[in-house]
Amino acid sequence: MSAIIRANLLRRWGRTLLTGLGVAVGVTTTVALLALTGGLSRSAGDLAKLGRADFAVFQAGLADLTASSLPTSIVTRVDRVPGIAATAPIQVVAHAIARSPSLLVYGARLDSFLARRLVITGGRFAHGDELMVGSGAASALHVRVGDHVSVEGRELRVAAIYRSGISLEDAGVVLSLPVSQRLSRRPGQISTIAVLIAPGYPERAVERAVQRAIPGTVALGDPGEVSRVDTNSRLLTKAALIIAVLSLLLGAVVVINTMAMAMIERRTEFGVLAAVGWTRGRIARLILGESVVVGLGGALVGLGLGALASELLVQALTASTFVTPAITPWVLGRGLLVGFALGVLGALFAVWRILRTPTLKALQR
Amino acid sequence: MTHPLPSTGSVDGAHARGARIDVERVSRRFGAVEALREVSLHVLPGELVAITGRSGSGKSTLLNLIGGLDRPSEGRVLIDGVDLATGRRDERARRELVGFVFQQHLLLSELSARLNVEVPLVGAGVAARVRRRRALELLEEVGLSDRAEHRPAMLSGGERQRVAVARALANDPRLLLADEPTGALDSASSERIVELLVTLRARRGMTVVIVSYDNAVYAQADRTMTILDGRLDGGGSPP
Repeated sequence: MSAIIRANLLRRWGRTLLTGLGVAVGVTTTVALLALTGGLSRSAGDLAKLGRADFAVFQAGLADLTASSLPTSIVTRVDRVPGIAATAPIQVVAHAIARSPSLLVYGARLDSFLARRLVITGGRFAHGDELMVGSGAASALHVRVGDHVSVEGRELRVAAIYRSGISLEDAGVVLSLPVSQRLSRRPGQISTIAVLIAPGYPERAVERAVQRAIPGTVALGDPGEVSRVDTNSRLLTKAALIIAVLSLLLGAVVVINTMAMAMIERRTEFGVLAAVGWTRGRIARLILGESVVVGLGGALVGLGLGALASELLVQALTASTFVTPAITPWVLGRGLLVGFALGVLGALFAVWRILRTPTLKALQR
Repeated sequence: MTHPLPSTGSVDGAHARGARIDVERVSRRFGAVEALREVSLHVLPGELVAITGRSGSGKSTLLNLIGGLDRPSEGRVLIDGVDLATGRRDERARRELVGFVFQQHLLLSELSARLNVEVPLVGAGVAARVRRRRALELLEEVGLSDRAEHRPAMLSGGERQRVAVARALANDPRLLLADEPTGALDSASSERIVELLVTLRARRGMTVVIVSYDNAVYAQADRTMTILDGRLDGGGSPP
């Protein structure tokens, strides 16, 4: 049957190509948006893991966690909660670097565990008004040790290039908290408190204790939990889902329409197959086979285009350092699944039409 | 019009592989139009029967009923005692018993001659290697071994019809039904197709029913019958 499927698809290669393209568009949109929202969730999750903390404390009830604002004074109250081993107050400043507005600036005490855990790959530890640049940010800014980076209009010398292992952290710059607060004109304010738990204390219990001790805060440790609290990324995920569903519906209409038209044109052919003894099930399998091959072919193209589109999208949104598209096997698998489903869907209507046509009627041209 | 059932048997011993056809008081109506009226016809295994009649007289309708492509409004059609139209798996029964040759060859244009012949074997679930060998044997049998990989558009009208004959023989049927197989051919090609059908009948012992206007067919047939306005005008039973 494969030879017949191949011949049928090649016979009208233009139609095959266009049908495959319909599937590819649906899969491209799905993969691009899944990868993008996955990347967004991962970035949001990284916020709770800055400095490889066990959890982080944010202002409660915010749509965007980067907008969290806490007074520096509460750090000592957090320190007093039983089970807390260490804290690192962090000020997260967005749009502070004019050359690359998507890069985040982290103001942190240079003696905190966040700063101590940075692996210096070039230069030396920062002092005073100097800053340290993450490896991702260094690539984006094309800077080396000794160069200067403008933060909030003030030129600061790059003392070091670091790696932390946290994507979001490596895609930013670290400078001392007082400098950051001064440059952002937000003295006494921080965005979050990274927390290390003392050995033997359960994370959830300590998180709850912090929230009880300081009302109006939320303690988040699980990256999945972060994306649930961060309503901005939740909204984006929902919007992406809606766009993906719409584009899939469009793809499905294209495939169903093209397959139905092709099958009606080939009615006589199916009449011949029935006349020479093909069972209805076998004819259905032929139609299904052709449609699924087109669907999967379109999906393969869509996977490539989707990966490319997600990269282009974050670049177009100047978010390439903040968000890295999450092209995971599960995302690619879902793309293939979508192509397969579109293929099956496209065939179902055609199969229904063909199997309802009596053999004799199908043979009459 | 009814005819008494003939005794069971065949045209001669060599034709014992052919199928027996019993058409019993069959009528076929299409809305208000009665295409066939109480037609009865009995064909012995191995017989070559020609059916003639004016256009629209009901010849093709009768052939389609015999082949199980259509169902009678009344009466029944039995092929070796099997009613193809009421069988739960009529495609399988048709595949095992009947081969069709249509006037417009109805080859699949995108497939080579060999693949066209393989199509019924694909339907029967025959393995690819066996299919290929069998298709090549059949194309050799109809004199087209050198055209195996040609597509229908690259073949003459007569050659296409010979491929259609090879396709009809693919599942080794016991009954070959041909609906005006020479209708679209020139006289030389028609003659070759008729010769081919006669030769194949003699070689394989199958029963052959041909709907045709062609005198060459009448000359070779064991029996010729005429349909007039949906009624069989004589010759419904073997002599």
